[in-house]
Amino acid sequence: MPHIWSVATRSAIPAARFLPGVSCLLMAWDAETAWCKTAAEAAARPPVPQAAGDGSAYPMPPSPAPAHDPMSYTYTTDLAAIRAVVHRYAVKAGLSEARAIDLVLAVSEVAANTVRHAKSPGSLQIWYDTKEIVCQVQDEGTIPDPLAGRRRPSLEARGGHGLWIVNEVCDQVEIASDETGTTIRLHMDLRCS
Amino acid sequence: MDLLTVSVTARESAGEAYTLVEIAGEADVTNTDDLRQLLEEEVSQQPRTLIIDLSGLRFMDSSALHALLRVNRSMDRQGGVLALVSPQPAVAKILRLTTADRLIPVFDSVPDAAAG
Repeated sequence: MPHIWSVATRSAIPAARFLPGVSCLLMAWDAETAWCKTAAEAAARPPVPQAAGDGSAYPMPPSPAPAHDPMSYTYTTDLAAIRAVVHRYAVKAGLSEARAIDLVLAVSEVAANTVRHAKSPGSLQIWYDTKEIVCQVQDEGTIPDPLAGRRRPSLEARGGHGLWIVNEVCDQVEIASDETGTTIRLHMDLRCS
Repeated sequence: MDLLTVSVTARESAGEAYTLVEIAGEADVTNTDDLRQLLEEEVSQQPRTLIIDLSGLRFMDSSALHALLRVNRSMDRQGGVLALVSPQPAVAKILRLTTADRLIPVFDSVPDAAAG
């Protein structure tokens, strides 16, 4: 299976200018066939390579890990402990209570996927600077669909709300997944909190 | 301490019987099966009104939400009504995000919910 990763962001990155009406920009990339596409095009049209407005070609690699040591936590099924840790760090980083609640919900949903699908423990790392707080969740599960969580599921659906909620509440979501595991980075901007 | 506690009582309001389920703690994928089973037992008693008091629930994830949506469908099918009461901010958020709060009525208090 090819390595797949995707980035969805709420912020006004230059490429968003070219997609009127699309507030959440999606770039999904398949390294083997080298295509990328936006949420607006994802429906049925053939994939079209695109460049960002600032001239840099999408897709870009997932953003680098922080220079300083992040907080690390390994979990199996103790999601309440995960939520408590995330809330504590979110408040410490300066996130408002409402957005801290959002981040807690997002991390809990991602970690719940580990409980559901991965056969081994997951790990959570949290770091922040003056601009943003990032929660990174890694496990040995695989997400084969690069558009996972980008479509709003019906309330009649039996599942699939988790990653959709994550995309709704976070400012940026990066997903990298292959047969060895999945890394999901959830970004919350501290400057608009 | 259990992550999730659930208590069930049979009540009456203006001569109308209803079932009150109080959920407290945190509901997520690790205890959804228990929650679903317990709620389904109550639904199978065919109450006309099933009220779930969420005021003690600090957190609810999408799997617990699915359990509530399933209860709502079952109540609909048997001609009953499900109502939710007093969600805390984190629970209100997931109800609002998923628009579940437009499907299931949400009230400020148990008497309000019982009065419909």
